[in-house]
Amino acid sequence: MMLEHRFGAMGTSCELLVDAPESFVVRRAMRNAEREVHRLEALLSRFQPDTELARLNREGRVRAGPELLELVRLALKARRLTGGRFDPTVLPALAAAGYDRSFESVSGSGHSATGTAPRCGGGVQIDHATRVIEVDAGVQLDLGGIAKGWTADRLCRMLDLHAPSLVSLGGDIAASRPPATGAWPVGVESPTGQLTIALARGGLATSGRDRRRWRHGDEELHHEIDPATGRPSATDLMRVTVAAETAADAEVSATALLLAGEARARIEADRFGIPCVLVTRDDRAVLAGGLS
Amino acid sequence: MTDATRRLSLVAAAILVLFLTWAFIAARPWAAHGAAPPDPRVRALVAREVRLRHDAVLVRRLVEGRWRRYRVALHHRRLVIAKANAHHRHALAVAAAAQRSAVQAASIRSSGPTYSSASSAPPVRIVTLPALTITRSS
Repeated sequence: MMLEHRFGAMGTSCELLVDAPESFVVRRAMRNAEREVHRLEALLSRFQPDTELARLNREGRVRAGPELLELVRLALKARRLTGGRFDPTVLPALAAAGYDRSFESVSGSGHSATGTAPRCGGGVQIDHATRVIEVDAGVQLDLGGIAKGWTADRLCRMLDLHAPSLVSLGGDIAASRPPATGAWPVGVESPTGQLTIALARGGLATSGRDRRRWRHGDEELHHEIDPATGRPSATDLMRVTVAAETAADAEVSATALLLAGEARARIEADRFGIPCVLVTRDDRAVLAGGLS
Repeated sequence: MTDATRRLSLVAAAILVLFLTWAFIAARPWAAHGAAPPDPRVRALVAREVRLRHDAVLVRRLVEGRWRRYRVALHHRRLVIAKANAHHRHALAVAAAAQRSAVQAASIRSSGPTYSSASSAPPVRIVTLPALTITRSS
Protein backbone atom coordinates (compact mmCIF):
# COMPACT_ATOMS: atom_id res chain seq x y z
CA MET A 1 0.00 0.00 0.00
CA MET A 2 1.27 3.44 -0.87
CA LEU A 3 0.86 6.16 1.76
CA GLU A 4 0.91 9.73 0.46
CA HIS A 5 1.44 13.05 2.16
CA ARG A 6 1.39 16.37 0.28
CA PHE A 7 2.15 19.89 1.45
CA GLY A 8 3.62 23.16 0.25
CA ALA A 9 7.10 24.35 1.26
CA MET A 10 10.22 25.93 -0.25
CA GLY A 11 8.04 27.76 -2.75
CA THR A 12 6.84 24.56 -4.34
CA SER A 13 4.66 21.50 -3.82
CA CYS A 14 6.10 18.58 -1.88
CA GLU A 15 5.08 14.95 -1.94
CA LEU A 16 6.03 12.03 0.29
CA LEU A 17 5.30 8.44 -0.75
CA VAL A 18 5.93 5.52 1.57
CA ASP A 19 5.38 1.93 0.51
CA ALA A 20 3.88 0.70 3.76
CA PRO A 21 0.50 -0.23 5.21
CA GLU A 22 -1.46 2.51 6.94
CA SER A 23 -0.05 3.08 10.41
CA PHE A 24 0.15 5.82 12.98
CA VAL A 25 3.95 5.50 13.17
CA VAL A 26 4.47 6.04 9.45
CA ARG A 27 1.99 8.93 9.37
CA ARG A 28 3.81 10.54 12.27
CA ALA A 29 7.12 10.06 10.43
CA MET A 30 5.64 11.80 7.41
CA ARG A 31 4.44 14.72 9.52
CA ASN A 32 7.91 14.91 11.09
CA ALA A 33 9.39 14.96 7.62
CA GLU A 34 7.14 17.91 6.73
CA ARG A 35 8.28 19.72 9.89
CA GLU A 36 11.89 19.04 8.89
CA VAL A 37 11.29 20.69 5.51
CA HIS A 38 9.90 23.80 7.19
CA ARG A 39 12.81 23.83 9.64
CA LEU A 40 15.35 23.62 6.82
CA GLU A 41 13.50 26.29 4.85
CA ALA A 42 13.84 28.59 7.87
CA LEU A 43 17.61 28.05 7.71
CA LEU A 44 18.25 28.02 3.99
CA SER A 45 15.77 30.30 2.27
CA ARG A 46 17.21 33.40 0.64
CA PHE A 47 13.83 35.15 0.73
CA GLN A 48 13.26 35.15 4.48
CA PRO A 49 15.38 37.87 6.12
CA ASP A 50 16.37 35.98 9.27
CA THR A 51 17.70 32.72 7.81
CA GLU A 52 21.36 31.80 8.08
CA LEU A 53 21.71 32.08 4.32
CA ALA A 54 20.09 35.53 4.23
CA ARG A 55 22.48 36.70 6.98
CA LEU A 56 25.45 35.35 5.04
CA ASN A 57 24.28 37.17 1.92
CA ARG A 58 23.67 40.37 3.87
CA GLU A 59 26.76 40.41 6.10
CA GLY A 60 29.27 38.42 4.03
CA ARG A 61 30.08 36.17 6.94
CA VAL A 62 28.14 33.90 9.25
CA ARG A 63 28.78 31.26 11.88
CA ALA A 64 26.74 28.52 10.27
CA GLY A 65 24.90 25.50 11.55
CA PRO A 66 25.76 22.02 10.25
CA GLU A 67 23.06 22.09 7.56
CA LEU A 68 24.23 25.28 5.86
CA LEU A 69 27.88 24.23 6.23
CA GLU A 70 27.24 20.89 4.53
CA LEU A 71 25.11 22.41 1.80
CA VAL A 72 27.63 25.14 0.95
CA ARG A 73 30.42 22.57 0.95
CA LEU A 74 28.35 20.41 -1.39
CA ALA A 75 27.57 23.36 -3.67
CA LEU A 76 31.24 24.37 -3.91
CA LYS A 77 32.19 20.78 -4.69
CA ALA A 78 29.52 20.75 -7.42
CA ARG A 79 30.90 24.00 -8.84
CA ARG A 80 34.34 22.41 -9.07
CA LEU A 81 33.07 19.15 -10.57
CA THR A 82 30.92 20.84 -13.19
CA GLY A 83 33.66 23.21 -14.28
CA GLY A 84 31.66 26.17 -12.94
CA ARG A 85 28.42 25.45 -14.81
CA PHE A 86 26.65 24.85 -11.54
CA ASP A 87 27.52 27.81 -9.35
CA PRO A 88 25.88 28.86 -6.06
CA THR A 89 27.17 32.43 -6.50
CA VAL A 90 24.66 33.33 -9.22
CA LEU A 91 22.37 35.21 -6.84
CA PRO A 92 23.44 38.75 -7.88
CA ALA A 93 22.85 37.73 -11.51
CA LEU A 94 19.46 36.25 -10.60
CA ALA A 95 18.53 39.41 -8.74
CA ALA A 96 19.71 41.56 -11.64
CA ALA A 97 17.50 39.51 -13.93
CA GLY A 98 14.56 40.30 -11.65
CA TYR A 99 14.31 37.16 -9.50
CA ASP A 100 15.12 38.96 -6.25
CA ARG A 101 12.08 37.86 -4.22
CA SER A 102 9.88 34.79 -4.02
CA PHE A 103 8.80 33.82 -7.50
CA GLU A 104 5.15 34.68 -6.89
CA SER A 105 6.22 38.33 -6.43
CA VAL A 106 8.60 38.53 -9.36
CA SER A 107 7.61 41.06 -11.98
CA GLY A 108 9.36 42.21 -15.11
CA SER A 109 11.83 44.42 -13.27
CA GLY A 110 14.98 42.70 -14.47
CA HIS A 111 17.80 44.20 -16.47
CA SER A 112 17.75 43.92 -20.19
CA ALA A 113 20.27 41.75 -21.96
CA THR A 114 22.28 44.80 -22.93
CA GLY A 115 22.95 45.79 -19.32
CA THR A 116 26.09 44.83 -17.40
CA ALA A 117 25.76 41.31 -16.01
CA PRO A 118 26.98 40.69 -12.46
CA ARG A 119 30.09 38.55 -12.11
CA CYS A 120 29.66 34.94 -10.93
CA GLY A 121 32.24 32.53 -9.53
CA GLY A 122 33.32 34.64 -6.56
CA GLY A 123 35.24 33.28 -3.60
CA VAL A 124 33.54 31.42 -0.78
CA GLN A 125 35.60 30.27 2.18
CA ILE A 126 34.57 27.73 4.82
CA ASP A 127 36.47 27.50 8.08
CA HIS A 128 35.41 24.13 9.43
CA ALA A 129 37.20 24.68 12.74
CA THR A 130 35.18 27.79 13.61
CA ARG A 131 32.14 26.88 11.42
CA VAL A 132 32.39 30.26 9.74
CA ILE A 133 31.42 30.77 6.11
CA GLU A 134 32.75 33.92 4.48
CA VAL A 135 32.16 35.23 0.97
CA ASP A 136 34.14 37.79 -1.00
CA ALA A 137 32.77 41.29 -1.40
CA GLY A 138 29.73 41.33 -3.68
CA VAL A 139 29.29 37.55 -3.61
CA GLN A 140 25.89 36.14 -2.61
CA LEU A 141 24.70 32.56 -2.61
CA ASP A 142 21.56 30.95 -3.98
CA LEU A 143 21.18 27.33 -2.91
CA GLY A 144 17.64 26.88 -4.27
CA GLY A 145 17.91 23.84 -6.52
CA ILE A 146 20.61 21.94 -4.70
CA ALA A 147 18.94 22.68 -1.37
CA LYS A 148 15.72 21.03 -2.56
CA GLY A 149 17.62 17.97 -3.79
CA TRP A 150 19.66 17.73 -0.62
CA THR A 151 16.53 18.09 1.51
CA ALA A 152 14.77 15.38 -0.51
CA ASP A 153 17.72 13.04 0.10
CA ARG A 154 17.62 13.86 3.80
CA LEU A 155 13.88 13.23 4.13
CA CYS A 156 14.21 10.02 2.19
CA ARG A 157 16.77 8.72 4.69
CA MET A 158 14.41 9.67 7.53
CA LEU A 159 11.42 7.86 6.02
CA ASP A 160 13.46 4.85 4.94
CA LEU A 161 13.75 3.91 8.61
CA HIS A 162 10.11 2.77 8.28
CA ALA A 163 9.71 1.57 4.70
CA PRO A 164 10.84 2.22 1.12
CA SER A 165 10.02 5.82 0.34
CA LEU A 166 10.10 8.45 -2.34
CA VAL A 167 10.30 12.19 -1.69
CA SER A 168 9.53 14.83 -4.30
CA LEU A 169 10.22 18.49 -3.59
CA GLY A 170 8.97 20.41 -6.59
CA GLY A 171 10.23 17.73 -8.93
CA ASP A 172 13.55 16.97 -7.21
CA ILE A 173 13.01 13.32 -6.39
CA ALA A 174 14.85 10.99 -4.03
CA ALA A 175 14.06 7.31 -3.62
CA SER A 176 15.60 5.25 -0.84
CA ARG A 177 15.10 1.69 -2.16
CA PRO A 178 12.69 -0.11 -4.48
CA PRO A 179 9.09 -0.52 -3.40
CA ALA A 180 7.35 -3.88 -3.52
CA THR A 181 6.57 -3.34 -7.22
CA GLY A 182 10.30 -3.19 -8.03
CA ALA A 183 10.70 0.46 -9.00
CA TRP A 184 9.13 3.88 -8.62
CA PRO A 185 7.51 5.00 -11.91
CA VAL A 186 8.24 8.69 -12.31
CA GLY A 187 6.78 10.79 -15.11
CA VAL A 188 8.91 13.09 -17.23
CA GLU A 189 7.23 15.72 -19.40
CA SER A 190 8.21 15.42 -23.03
CA PRO A 191 6.95 17.07 -26.21
CA THR A 192 5.33 13.81 -27.32
CA GLY A 193 3.53 13.17 -24.06
CA GLN A 194 4.76 11.84 -20.79
CA LEU A 195 7.67 9.41 -20.52
CA THR A 196 7.84 7.20 -17.45
CA ILE A 197 11.18 6.37 -15.88
CA ALA A 198 11.43 3.43 -13.50
CA LEU A 199 13.66 4.54 -10.64
CA ALA A 200 14.69 1.85 -8.17
CA ARG A 201 16.72 4.12 -5.91
CA GLY A 202 18.71 7.34 -6.09
CA GLY A 203 17.71 10.74 -7.35
CA LEU A 204 15.94 12.27 -10.29
CA ALA A 205 15.81 15.98 -11.01
CA THR A 206 14.81 18.29 -13.80
CA SER A 207 16.27 21.68 -14.63
CA GLY A 208 14.66 23.81 -17.23
CA ARG A 209 13.75 27.21 -18.50
CA ASP A 210 10.10 26.29 -18.97
CA ARG A 211 9.12 27.33 -15.44
CA ARG A 212 10.01 30.30 -13.25
CA ARG A 213 10.24 32.62 -16.20
CA TRP A 214 9.04 36.16 -16.66
CA ARG A 215 9.11 38.92 -19.20
CA HIS A 216 11.09 42.14 -19.24
CA GLY A 217 9.77 44.19 -22.15
CA ASP A 218 10.09 41.98 -25.20
CA GLU A 219 12.68 39.77 -23.57
CA GLU A 220 11.83 36.52 -21.81
CA LEU A 221 13.94 35.87 -18.74
CA HIS A 222 14.22 32.72 -16.61
CA HIS A 223 16.02 31.49 -13.50
CA GLU A 224 18.64 29.24 -15.09
CA ILE A 225 21.62 31.59 -15.01
CA ASP A 226 24.74 30.74 -16.97
CA PRO A 227 27.62 31.63 -14.60
CA ALA A 228 29.92 32.20 -17.58
CA THR A 229 27.83 35.15 -18.77
CA GLY A 230 25.85 36.11 -15.68
CA ARG A 231 22.64 36.05 -17.76
CA PRO A 232 19.80 33.57 -18.21
CA SER A 233 21.13 30.72 -20.33
CA ALA A 234 20.47 30.81 -24.02
CA THR A 235 21.24 27.24 -25.08
CA ASP A 236 19.06 25.11 -27.33
CA LEU A 237 17.78 23.00 -24.43
CA MET A 238 14.47 23.69 -22.75
CA ARG A 239 14.63 21.06 -20.02
CA VAL A 240 16.94 18.31 -18.79
CA THR A 241 16.00 15.41 -16.49
CA VAL A 242 18.86 13.45 -14.92
CA ALA A 243 19.07 10.32 -12.78
CA ALA A 244 21.93 10.19 -10.31
CA GLU A 245 23.03 8.63 -7.05
CA THR A 246 21.28 11.35 -5.05
CA ALA A 247 18.72 14.04 -5.82
CA ALA A 248 21.31 16.72 -5.08
CA ASP A 249 23.71 15.19 -7.62
CA ALA A 250 20.87 14.88 -10.13
CA GLU A 251 20.00 18.56 -9.68
CA VAL A 252 23.64 19.61 -10.21
CA SER A 253 24.09 17.42 -13.29
CA ALA A 254 20.77 18.56 -14.79
CA THR A 255 21.80 22.21 -14.44
CA ALA A 256 25.25 21.54 -15.91
CA LEU A 257 23.84 19.64 -18.89
CA LEU A 258 21.16 22.27 -19.52
CA LEU A 259 23.85 24.94 -19.75
CA ALA A 260 25.98 22.76 -22.02
CA GLY A 261 23.50 22.71 -24.89
CA GLU A 262 22.20 19.64 -26.68
CA ALA A 263 25.28 18.52 -28.59
CA ARG A 264 27.70 18.84 -25.70
CA ALA A 265 25.17 17.49 -23.19
CA ARG A 266 24.73 14.30 -25.23
CA ILE A 267 28.49 13.82 -25.44
CA GLU A 268 29.02 14.40 -21.73
CA ALA A 269 26.04 12.28 -20.67
CA ASP A 270 27.27 9.35 -22.77
CA ARG A 271 30.89 9.82 -21.73
CA PHE A 272 30.17 10.00 -18.01
CA GLY A 273 27.21 7.60 -18.03
CA ILE A 274 24.58 10.06 -16.83
CA PRO A 275 21.09 8.78 -17.72
CA CYS A 276 19.10 11.77 -18.90
CA VAL A 277 16.25 13.08 -21.00
CA LEU A 278 17.08 16.22 -22.97
CA VAL A 279 14.15 18.25 -24.23
CA THR A 280 15.19 20.76 -26.86
CA ARG A 281 13.64 24.14 -27.57
CA ASP A 282 12.36 22.82 -30.90
CA ASP A 283 10.35 20.17 -29.04
CA ARG A 284 12.44 17.03 -29.37
CA ALA A 285 13.10 14.58 -26.55
CA VAL A 286 16.55 12.99 -26.66
CA LEU A 287 17.58 10.09 -24.42
CA ALA A 288 21.27 9.93 -23.50
CA GLY A 289 23.69 8.46 -20.98
CA GLY A 290 22.49 4.92 -21.45
CA LEU A 291 18.80 5.62 -20.79
CA SER A 292 16.51 3.59 -23.02
CA MET B 1 70.31 85.28 110.45
CA THR B 2 73.15 82.98 111.39
CA ASP B 3 76.70 83.36 110.23
CA ALA B 4 76.44 80.28 108.12
CA THR B 5 73.50 81.64 106.29
CA ARG B 6 75.13 84.95 105.74
CA ARG B 7 78.23 83.26 104.34
CA LEU B 8 76.25 81.15 101.98
CA SER B 9 74.42 84.22 100.72
CA LEU B 10 77.67 86.07 100.15
CA VAL B 11 79.10 83.16 98.17
CA ALA B 12 75.99 82.98 96.02
CA ALA B 13 76.07 86.72 95.43
CA ALA B 14 79.74 86.53 94.48
CA ILE B 15 79.03 83.73 91.99
CA LEU B 16 76.17 85.73 90.47
CA VAL B 17 78.39 88.81 90.13
CA LEU B 18 81.10 86.68 88.52
CA PHE B 19 78.60 85.20 86.03
CA LEU B 20 77.17 88.60 85.12
CA THR B 21 80.67 90.00 84.63
CA TRP B 22 81.54 87.07 82.34
CA ALA B 23 78.41 87.53 80.36
CA PHE B 24 79.04 91.28 79.96
CA ILE B 25 82.59 90.69 78.77
CA ALA B 26 81.45 87.90 76.38
CA ALA B 27 78.87 90.18 74.83
CA ARG B 28 81.60 92.67 73.83
CA PRO B 29 79.37 95.70 74.03
CA TRP B 30 82.29 97.88 73.07
CA ALA B 31 82.43 96.35 69.57
CA ALA B 32 80.91 98.50 66.78
CA HIS B 33 77.24 97.75 65.74
CA GLY B 34 76.13 96.70 62.00
CA ALA B 35 77.42 94.08 59.52
CA ALA B 36 80.45 94.64 57.47
CA PRO B 37 79.65 95.81 53.90
CA PRO B 38 79.13 92.68 51.64
CA ASP B 39 81.81 91.71 49.20
CA PRO B 40 80.91 92.99 45.64
CA ARG B 41 81.90 89.63 44.19
CA VAL B 42 79.32 87.94 46.38
CA ARG B 43 76.72 90.47 45.27
CA ALA B 44 77.54 89.77 41.65
CA LEU B 45 77.29 86.05 42.21
CA VAL B 46 73.90 86.42 43.89
CA ALA B 47 72.59 88.62 41.08
CA ARG B 48 73.83 86.12 38.52
CA GLU B 49 72.16 83.26 40.36
CA VAL B 50 68.84 85.12 40.31
CA ARG B 51 69.21 85.84 36.61
CA LEU B 52 70.06 82.21 35.85
CA ARG B 53 67.14 80.92 37.86
CA HIS B 54 64.85 83.25 35.91
CA ASP B 55 66.35 82.10 32.62
CA ALA B 56 65.94 78.47 33.67
CA VAL B 57 62.24 79.02 34.30
CA LEU B 58 61.84 80.61 30.87
CA VAL B 59 63.74 77.80 29.17
CA ARG B 60 61.68 75.18 31.01
CA ARG B 61 58.46 76.84 29.89
CA LEU B 62 59.73 77.00 26.31
CA VAL B 63 60.78 73.35 26.29
CA GLU B 64 57.54 72.21 27.87
CA GLY B 65 55.56 74.12 25.26
CA ARG B 66 57.55 72.64 22.45
CA TRP B 67 57.26 69.12 23.97
CA ARG B 68 53.52 69.52 24.24
CA ARG B 69 53.24 70.62 20.62
CA TYR B 70 55.50 67.75 19.55
CA ARG B 71 53.33 65.23 21.41
CA VAL B 72 50.16 66.55 19.75
CA ALA B 73 51.81 66.50 16.32
CA LEU B 74 53.11 62.97 16.98
CA HIS B 75 49.65 61.79 17.96
CA HIS B 76 48.17 63.23 14.77
CA ARG B 77 50.93 61.73 12.71
CA ARG B 78 50.40 58.32 14.25
CA LEU B 79 46.67 58.55 13.49
CA VAL B 80 47.42 59.42 9.88
CA ILE B 81 49.90 56.54 9.60
CA ALA B 82 47.45 54.08 11.17
CA LYS B 83 44.71 55.22 8.79
CA ALA B 84 47.03 54.89 5.82
CA ASN B 85 48.12 51.42 6.97
CA ALA B 86 44.51 50.29 7.41
CA HIS B 87 43.64 51.62 3.97
CA HIS B 88 46.64 49.84 2.50
CA ARG B 89 45.76 46.56 4.22
CA HIS B 90 42.16 46.82 3.00
CA ALA B 91 43.32 47.51 -0.54
CA LEU B 92 45.67 44.52 -0.36
CA ALA B 93 42.89 42.28 0.97
CA VAL B 94 40.49 43.39 -1.76
CA ALA B 95 43.13 42.84 -4.43
CA ALA B 96 44.02 39.43 -3.01
CA ALA B 97 40.37 38.40 -2.86
CA ALA B 98 39.82 39.56 -6.42
CA GLN B 99 42.88 37.69 -7.58
CA ARG B 100 41.83 34.58 -5.66
CA SER B 101 38.34 34.76 -7.15
CA ALA B 102 39.70 35.24 -10.64
CA VAL B 103 42.13 32.32 -10.28
CA GLN B 104 39.43 30.16 -8.72
CA ALA B 105 36.91 30.99 -11.43
CA ALA B 106 39.49 30.47 -14.17
CA SER B 107 40.59 27.12 -12.76
CA ILE B 108 36.99 25.99 -12.33
CA ARG B 109 36.04 26.92 -15.88
CA SER B 110 39.21 25.60 -17.47
CA SER B 111 38.94 22.19 -15.84
CA GLY B 112 35.69 21.15 -17.59
CA PRO B 113 32.95 19.12 -15.95
CA THR B 114 33.58 15.68 -14.50
CA TYR B 115 30.25 15.07 -12.68
CA SER B 116 30.30 13.61 -9.21
CA SER B 117 27.87 10.76 -9.63
CA ALA B 118 28.92 9.66 -13.08
CA SER B 119 30.28 6.30 -11.99
CA SER B 120 27.42 5.52 -9.65
CA ALA B 121 24.28 6.52 -11.53
CA PRO B 122 21.36 4.30 -10.50
CA PRO B 123 19.91 1.85 -12.99
CA VAL B 124 16.93 3.48 -14.68
CA ARG B 125 14.88 2.60 -17.72
CA ILE B 126 11.90 3.85 -19.64
CA VAL B 127 8.75 1.89 -18.84
CA THR B 128 5.11 2.05 -19.85
CA LEU B 129 3.66 2.07 -16.34
CA PRO B 130 1.48 4.94 -15.16
CA ALA B 131 3.55 7.40 -13.18
CA LEU B 132 3.18 7.66 -9.41
CA THR B 133 4.64 11.15 -9.42
CA ILE B 134 6.26 13.50 -11.88
CA THR B 135 9.53 15.37 -12.08
CA ARG B 136 9.48 18.86 -13.56
CA SER B 137 11.66 21.90 -13.62
CA SER B 138 12.15 23.07 -10.06
